[in-house]
Amino acid sequence: MADVTLRGVHKAFGDNPIVRGVDLEIGSGEFMVLVGPSGCGKTTLLRLLAGLEQCDQGEVLIDGKVMNDAAPRERNVGMVFQSYALYPHMTVRENLAFALELRKTPKAELDARVNEAAQMLELEKLLERRPKQLSGGQRQRVAIGRAIVRRPSVFLFDEPLSNLDAALRVQMRGELMRLHARLQSTMIYVTHDQVEAMTLATRLAVFNLGKLQQVGKPLDLYARPANKFVAGFLGSPGMNFLRGRVGKGAVAGDGFSLALSPRYTALEGREVIAGVRPQALTLSAQGGVRGEIEAIERLGTEGYAYLRTKVGTVVARFEGGGAELKVGDAWGAACEAASVLLFDAASEEAIAVQP
Amino acid sequence: MTRVGGVAAVKRAIAIVTLACALFASGVRAEAPPEKTRILVWHAYRAAEETALLMLIDQFNAAHPEYRAEALALPYDVYPSKLSAAIPTGHGPDVFIFAQERVSAWARDGLLSPMDADAAMMPGEFPEAALDALRSKGALWGLPLSLKSVALYVNKSLVPVAPVNTDEMVALAQKLTDPAQGRFGLAWEAGDFYHHASWLSGFGGKLFKEPEHRPVVDTPEGVAALTFVRDLMRKKHVMPEEPSAQLVATLFNANRAAMVINGPWFAGEIHGVDYEVVSLPIVSATGLPARPLLTVEAALVSATSEVKDGARALARFLVSKDASILRAKIGRQVVATRSAYDDPGVGGDTLLRAFRKQAESAVPMDNTPAMLTVWEPYKRALTAVLSGLLEPDEALAQAQRRLNAIAKPMPPPASPWPLLLLAAGGILALSIWIRRRPVRPDAPALYHDVRRAIAYCTPAAASILVLVFIPFAIGVGLAFFHHGEGRYTFVGLSNFVDILTSRDYRITEPMSFWFTLAVTLAWTVANVVLHVSIGLFLALLLRDPLLKFKGVYRVLLIVPWAVPNYITALVWKGMFHRQFGAISALLATLGLEPVSWFTRFSTSFAANVVTNTWLGFPFMMVVSLGALQSIPQDLYEAAEVDGASKWAQFRHITLPLLRPALLPAVILGSVWTFNMFNIIYLVSGGEPGGATDILVSEAYRWAFQRNEQFGFAAAYSTLIFLFLLGWSALTRRVAREPSPEAA
Ligand SMILES: Nc1ncnc2c1ncn2[C@@H]1O[C@H](COP(=O)(O)OP(=O)(O)OP(=O)(O)O)[C@@H](O)[C@H]1O
Ligand SMILES: [Mg+2]
Repeated sequence: MADVTLRGVHKAFGDNPIVRGVDLEIGSGEFMVLVGPSGCGKTTLLRLLAGLEQCDQGEVLIDGKVMNDAAPRERNVGMVFQSYALYPHMTVRENLAFALELRKTPKAELDARVNEAAQMLELEKLLERRPKQLSGGQRQRVAIGRAIVRRPSVFLFDEPLSNLDAALRVQMRGELMRLHARLQSTMIYVTHDQVEAMTLATRLAVFNLGKLQQVGKPLDLYARPANKFVAGFLGSPGMNFLRGRVGKGAVAGDGFSLALSPRYTALEGREVIAGVRPQALTLSAQGGVRGEIEAIERLGTEGYAYLRTKVGTVVARFEGGGAELKVGDAWGAACEAASVLLFDAASEEAIAVQP
Repeated sequence: MTRVGGVAAVKRAIAIVTLACALFASGVRAEAPPEKTRILVWHAYRAAEETALLMLIDQFNAAHPEYRAEALALPYDVYPSKLSAAIPTGHGPDVFIFAQERVSAWARDGLLSPMDADAAMMPGEFPEAALDALRSKGALWGLPLSLKSVALYVNKSLVPVAPVNTDEMVALAQKLTDPAQGRFGLAWEAGDFYHHASWLSGFGGKLFKEPEHRPVVDTPEGVAALTFVRDLMRKKHVMPEEPSAQLVATLFNANRAAMVINGPWFAGEIHGVDYEVVSLPIVSATGLPARPLLTVEAALVSATSEVKDGARALARFLVSKDASILRAKIGRQVVATRSAYDDPGVGGDTLLRAFRKQAESAVPMDNTPAMLTVWEPYKRALTAVLSGLLEPDEALAQAQRRLNAIAKPMPPPASPWPLLLLAAGGILALSIWIRRRPVRPDAPALYHDVRRAIAYCTPAAASILVLVFIPFAIGVGLAFFHHGEGRYTFVGLSNFVDILTSRDYRITEPMSFWFTLAVTLAWTVANVVLHVSIGLFLALLLRDPLLKFKGVYRVLLIVPWAVPNYITALVWKGMFHRQFGAISALLATLGLEPVSWFTRFSTSFAANVVTNTWLGFPFMMVVSLGALQSIPQDLYEAAEVDGASKWAQFRHITLPLLRPALLPAVILGSVWTFNMFNIIYLVSGGEPGGATDILVSEAYRWAFQRNEQFGFAAAYSTLIFLFLLGWSALTRRVAREPSPEAA
């Protein structure tokens, strides 16, 4: 259990700035999930925390102590590598026990901890195998196990579930949550998976281009994204963005018009980008957004239709099987005024309004 | 399709072979009827001597239209074995030129034609010593061409009047010696018996006890001669220590050795020194002249020659006055023919005349195989005494024991049948075992294209058979024979028994098999440990990401490996020289005493190990470097996060992951080192007293320096083979243990 603080952290590889001024406070026992597009510097950030890289500027604090110059083993962090980094010459058991053996943990405790981790990760039958003889998912579980047995005060997970099948992923998610609840350690967790991010995180941090975009409770970020990037990054399918101008009680653009809540009346005449989540936009014969169906995703009890409009493709939800829909048909979509968000057309920042 | 292709290929191959045979046969036939009778002459001459010979052969051909003499030059070291193989089958030369050292053996084996009548046609032309050298069992077997012996070279600017006796020589030498300046009054290859023999005779000693013609070296005269030389070097210090041929030449050319004992060949190595050659002085203690060993190069006629008359005519022509004058003038030979010196060009040549004069008083070197056994024991005695290790009487007594062991009587012949039956039984059992092994269920599928498989494998199998298995089988077979006097006798296991029971030596003595085996093991372990640890250490350094100019270091560190190892060995040997070596110079700058490296086992062994380590670490470094680079970096990061220190990372990550690459290298390296003949032979030469010899160098000595005991040497080699076979079986098991594979 330890809190982790990043203060103005910069990191560049050569002339290539990768982490550009990140300030982030992670409370003790928090489950912080980091998300962001590929290459935005998430792994680099974890490596800075682990001590495998040194930051060019700023400070890394763990438990209130500046750790910039501390070696990895002085930081008491556990890391699950994106590449697993299992020791190829050791069996699964030896991989799990390695860190404990280095610490000269008594045999009984060592065995207990290894067996516990193996049980939790369903590795009992694989304990005598070598990494070469495991599937990708099994290796990933060993990598997690290797971090778990040590009970570090901070866990660093770099996409630990990316290679698991859907069912196992759901189960592992549960295990991780239980683990977190039990150990109460601070967990910093990188993922690409929306569901993981939303379900595991006590707080969520969104990164883009080496900068922290927004941090907060997952649902807050979902409901009130700070900018267009965060709005588009969270949620699946991604938010619809329609470029237009605020008019009287509505925002309208080329071939669309959406009602706005009265809160936005002050913005009349302003150039904006309207954002509506597909889940909030219902396909209907009428509706303020008009277009031709381009593609249909039928999920059974509901589905999404992709409408080609003059301002780009817009995704709208429909109920039921959507048997009546056909590609090429003209349809409309509508939503409640409350679910329309506005972003500044130039800065792409969310336009905050008083409730 | 494949079937047809295979058959076609076989047919084509047969056609090619047939064609080749036809061409070969026609070539042989075309050569068949020469209008002139050919006389084939074998020799090992090079440069001016060869030119002179070729000119003489042309002259002979011009004068004798019925003959066509042809010369064939052979490398000196293979010459005797080729002769022994070729002459009995009638494929050898008609005339051949060789020194007298093997005349007895060849005469005994019926390779030579007697030449008494031919010599009688030129009475008074040859010194009696030269004719003696070519006699065996009362007959003369060759005509002497040239004479070789050592004599005294004096630097005229330092020695205006050459000494007549040893008292004068020693007094003069003492006056001209200044060890601080590296100046010496005297120098010769004192560690070599060829040079030392002059003093032995000067003190009245003889090498052989008659009538049994047995080499006896521990005589009072031998001790006196050795004491005389030892005192020159170690008490009066008028001679350099560990004098090699090269050192002698260097000192003489630098005016730092006033008097040098050497042969006529030395004249070619002298540059810019005004010198004179005189006969060796009289030994003052006995009043006898120091008489050098005389080597006689002779024209010999093959017993199986079909043109014996022509061959003898050619031999007589080569030793005739005119031909000798030409050989003297062009080939710079000290010709044996007396009348040649009537020619002013030859008689006026002071060098030739001086050596001719010395030859008159020289002792002909014995021409029986017994002589060949003397060199090594005597050399060991010389080095032991000259390095201060032993007193002359002790050293010669030891040499005598060696000689007795080498000249041991032939073991009783045994019947080959039990062994042959055993071997046949073994082969039978092996083939039954192979037959009865379960056939793999997928075998038919695997081997369906048998013909093609056989066609592909045949060339490789045939060359392995010819190049490896047949020589190997002959080698192993030889181990059951005794070789002596040119004959092989089957003696069963007695060679092995003698070796393994250490019959002639206590096992704590250098010449016993077990002592040598222990030294070989120590040698192998010491080397492999050093090679691996230094190689690995350097590889780890070279992997450091912060290190600059890595490529440069890598190349520099591989250089020792790229230099041929005998060159490295000779360079190190020079560096270990007590008086002139770089290592002594280094020790001197540190204020330390120079070390006489090859007089004690520990330092001599260390010198060998240092040299071989220099040669061996680059291989281990390259192997380690390659293996290190294949270890993924993230393993170290994971280990670091897991809390592993640098040392723990090395122990738990680097070492286990290096194992699969390093283990085969270690096995290979241990086998190489086990048989590293060059270093042992060239650096320590087995000194002191054969203690640093390893099994292969012992095997070599038994074959080539100890009375041609080929059977004994083959038994040694077979034991080496069995030992290494066991070793590789053992290590293969270790290597098979679950080894890590890269993820
Ligand atoms: N050692 C390095 N040297 C140079 N560039 C690097 C190095 N490590 C990472 N980078 C670069 O830094 C950027 C960020 O890398 P990082 O691994 O942190 O991305 P990420 O956010 O983890 O991406 P992903 O989601 O694909 O894992 C990438 O453009 C990468 O090419
Ligand atoms: Mg990453």
